[in-house]
Amino acid sequence: MTRVRLTLLASLVAVGLLPAPAAAQRLTLTLTPRIVSFPSSDPDIIPLVIAAPVQVSYRVLQNNNAPWSLTVLAGGDLVSGPATVDISNISWVATPAPPFQNGTLSKTVAQRAASGNGNVNPASIGSVTFRLANSWNYSVGTYTQTVIFTLSAP
Amino acid sequence: MRSLVTLFVLAACAAPAAAQTDTATLNTSLTGLARLTLSSSAITFPDADPDAVPLVPSSPPTISITAKARAAEGGVVTLTVQASDELRSGVVTLPASLITWTASGTGFAGGTLSATTPRAVATWSGSGVRIGTQSFFFANLWSHPTGTYTLTLLLTLSAA
Repeated sequence: MTRVRLTLLASLVAVGLLPAPAAAQRLTLTLTPRIVSFPSSDPDIIPLVIAAPVQVSYRVLQNNNAPWSLTVLAGGDLVSGPATVDISNISWVATPAPPFQNGTLSKTVAQRAASGNGNVNPASIGSVTFRLANSWNYSVGTYTQTVIFTLSAP
Repeated sequence: MRSLVTLFVLAACAAPAAAQTDTATLNTSLTGLARLTLSSSAITFPDADPDAVPLVPSSPPTISITAKARAAEGGVVTLTVQASDELRSGVVTLPASLITWTASGTGFAGGTLSATTPRAVATWSGSGVRIGTQSFFFANLWSHPTGTYTLTLLLTLSAA
């Protein structure tokens, strides 16, 4: 009984120490800016409201020839009190392509924004420009939502 | 029990998947907005025999109205019409209330013109694009003095 307890303790120490530092060194991801604003516009004049581009700085190390991907997932619809705007009304245009690709936001399935193989070193920069499909059907309000960019490698 | 623990340690060390995340916040402030489009900016009531045509339809017979508005969630959107003055021909006037209208389209309603009070043409709830028509009529009477009468209609689209 005593021997089992000691083994378990050692295992927990190993799990806590080994993987975390390795992951931190392998991938880096930075967005600039982190606030994306769509100005209020007349839908007849500006049917597609374009925000300022987000610079995506990313680096992939120790990846050999394995694939890596950058995905985007919205936390939900745009929300302003009781009013919502479906998040699928926001799309993006990304460059350079490849590795970046255009897409449409989803609140349920992470959408691929970029992908490649091997390492990216030094860090590379892409540009993601979000676009809101403007509509007369939207209610007046101040809407907000977060989107999570995830850079992953096996 | 010892075997089970050993397997767990191996699984943890062999899972090299790595992920790095960063978060952006999207925001937009949508302000109130309204746009009103009419198919015609002028209508005319032709002269007619009051016995034969007691209610003279306008020419063109209908005006198509496109009302676009951004309102607060569930807010009231209204379209009103008001005459600038009574029907006037020089110093001679006829009441603007001689002009009535019928309407078609969701939210639209018929009514009687007034030179003093805005009259509701349509009412809706919330943002959107609405399309309807207004057909104007002039109450023709033998008592009307001859003349060329005019007035201006002011249609106002507002959103709360």
